[in-house]
Amino acid sequence: MGKWFKSGSPWIWMTGGAVSISLIAVLGLLLLIAWRGLSYFWPAEVYQWQLEDQQGNKSTLIGEIYDREEVPTERLISAGHQFNQHPGEFVTRYLVKTGNREFVGLDFRWILATDIISRSIPLDVAKFERTKNGNFYGYPVAVIEEGQRLELTGDAIESSLVEHIERAVTISEQALSLQKSDIGSINYQMERLRLKERKYELDGELTPERKQQIAAQLQQLNDDYLVLEKDLFALRDEAARDSVVIRDMRGEEVTLKLDSILDVTYTNHMSFIDKVGHWFVGIGRFISHDPREANTEGGVFPAIFGTVFMVMLMAVIVTPFGVIAAIYLHEYAKKGPITKMIRIAVINLAGVPSIVYGVFGLGFFVYMLGGSLDQLFYPEALPAPTFGSPGVIWSALTLAILTLPVVIVSTEEGLSRIPSAVRQGSLALGATKAETLWRIVIPMASPAIMTGLILAVARAAGEVAPLMLVGVVKLAPTLPIDMNFPFVHLERKFMHLGFHIYDVGFQSPNVEAARPLVYATSFLLVSVIVALNLTAISVRNHLREKFRSLEH
Amino acid sequence: MISIDSSNMQTDTLDLANLAQQDTALEIRNLDLRYGDKQALYDVSMKIPKKKVTAFIGPSGCGKSTLLRCINRMNDLVDSCKIDGEILLHGQNIYDKKVDVAALRRNVGMVFQRPNPFPKSIYENVVYGLRLQGINNRRELDDAAERSLRGAAIWDEVKDRLHDNAFGLSGGQQQRLVIARAIAIEPEVLLLDEPTSALDPISTLTIEELITELKEQFTVVIVTHNMQQAARVSDQTAFMYMGELVEYADTNTIFTTPKKRKTEDYITGRYG
Repeated sequence: MGKWFKSGSPWIWMTGGAVSISLIAVLGLLLLIAWRGLSYFWPAEVYQWQLEDQQGNKSTLIGEIYDREEVPTERLISAGHQFNQHPGEFVTRYLVKTGNREFVGLDFRWILATDIISRSIPLDVAKFERTKNGNFYGYPVAVIEEGQRLELTGDAIESSLVEHIERAVTISEQALSLQKSDIGSINYQMERLRLKERKYELDGELTPERKQQIAAQLQQLNDDYLVLEKDLFALRDEAARDSVVIRDMRGEEVTLKLDSILDVTYTNHMSFIDKVGHWFVGIGRFISHDPREANTEGGVFPAIFGTVFMVMLMAVIVTPFGVIAAIYLHEYAKKGPITKMIRIAVINLAGVPSIVYGVFGLGFFVYMLGGSLDQLFYPEALPAPTFGSPGVIWSALTLAILTLPVVIVSTEEGLSRIPSAVRQGSLALGATKAETLWRIVIPMASPAIMTGLILAVARAAGEVAPLMLVGVVKLAPTLPIDMNFPFVHLERKFMHLGFHIYDVGFQSPNVEAARPLVYATSFLLVSVIVALNLTAISVRNHLREKFRSLEH
Repeated sequence: MISIDSSNMQTDTLDLANLAQQDTALEIRNLDLRYGDKQALYDVSMKIPKKKVTAFIGPSGCGKSTLLRCINRMNDLVDSCKIDGEILLHGQNIYDKKVDVAALRRNVGMVFQRPNPFPKSIYENVVYGLRLQGINNRRELDDAAERSLRGAAIWDEVKDRLHDNAFGLSGGQQQRLVIARAIAIEPEVLLLDEPTSALDPISTLTIEELITELKEQFTVVIVTHNMQQAARVSDQTAFMYMGELVEYADTNTIFTTPKKRKTEDYITGRYG
């Protein structure tokens, strides 16, 4: 035993075990998130239940099973449930997504196994995804085209329905793009004209000619707008031309206009391949679409865009700052107690809670810096703030300060690893210190700088708390980059995946509907961070290859 | 092993103490050097003749490398280093406040103990010094690169892979590349700080042959641990001990009839 102890084996087992536990924890976390998040897009089967409750009321229920759990009978009885026959110690309870929110009130329902008489998988039941009110489940009965009920039966209904929905979706998309780009651009220009007029007024330069000119331009824009608006309404009417008649679970026929329907799936008679295709389409939509219904439906594209854009902006700000600071500290500053203190202070900055940076960002960047910018350059917009309110630039700056220590520390480490022989070689050829830095030292330290950047990006992309104070919002109407001059709008608020998770999971009106989205969004956030890091790591490896000398 | 060829014999005529101004490349006058409290050089004075090879020998820690590094002010990089005395180049004290250190180093090149190529291509290594001077003309750089690589006897080995990374070369090749880099900017004086101590015997031999060729064009000062090497390549030799210049004479004299007891002890291997 003592010998075994001396051999070092227990030590190896202990260290190896620690590594394994960490790995299992991390992989388990990722797998759980990935499984929960990605299975959400898998087309689940739609069941139809015949129910009879303990009072003898019969009903039909159509929906997807979302969750199941075992509930102690005791608890149900004490909650006021009555059972004609004692069902045993536990009762199974299913959470069913029934959809049809505007007709049944809640689109999720718990049903007890004891109430179920029968369960079937009807082949012709369809699931409708809608822009409003969530999903709708039911049996399509007929298609109405321009008020005319088409006489179709069986499969013909399905194909005709799919066709009509595709038409309506295409037209709706046209209408949306018209509204967003053309009409949005006119509104933007009108706002700029208003600001221009106000600016002339403030400067006392609003001559009658100018006033007239602006009025003429406004008139022109307004005319354009009216034309576009007419087009928009025409498109909307066109999209709303057709409708579908569906028999729902109550047995009533409901007519839905096709302009509110995004997609129809007959989940129960899809083949496996169809389901895989549907799954990919679902993921694609999640990544590329805007959110709907208070973020509980639709995609997260603006949040992905906002996260990546903000992190990149942060990287662009923090890298030069951190590198320059590190160069001064390492190359020029006299080695003494003051330098040492500064270095310790920089390292300790990394330990300050991030919300403190958020408060600082709000007070210093948003109110002081942004407020002064508004006073100086955007007085015409006041009292409405331009830069004086939270925005993506302030978020990027706040996170840049937050991650500055990481960049400084790793750059300094990189600088100190460069062999002095190489520096002296450069100096001996008549280079000044600055030339040596530029031509030899910084290029050789670039892998270390990239390491710092990787750590900074990893930290910044996962940070949410400070952003809530300096720029993130639940729903941003526009992206920070669009087609309106000057194309990049750094003062705008933005959406962020991290905040989106919090918002969808805990601030949502429909918690059950949103829960899978929380997992999906978490998985996406992790993927985005991993993707950003992998990019940076591949750049670093390329640089390392170039400056291999450091490894000897 | 100690062989002295006829060209060395001719240097007997040089009177090192009273060297004429036009034959002197460098003059060191009463040089004292301290690293903090520790004195490393004591009152060193010597004249280094033009277009000859001068060797500094002595046991480890005797100050020979320190003295060499004074000549192109590499000791400036050491914070605690204090220097008194003068080193004259063209009659101008290089420690004068008015002297541009970068310009001085362009004039006094240096090759270090271990090969220290930059992480660039062979070509970029050689033209580095020229680029620093703002020369970017392709033809001029190409010519200079070829001339210096030929001068460093490495042209034939690298001419087909000038744009490969310099780290692909062997140690001996790297050292010759570094010499090529140093002579590309055409300095007057070339300082070699134990240039062969990290190399194998064959590379050492190549470099030694190279040194003999270099003195056609440059004043060469070499620090070496290896007495045979000093005897083979140098025209005059300075023996240093504990920071003092013990004896300085032409190589032949030092190795055959040293005047000082310490020199004799060292050369015959009684200590050091």
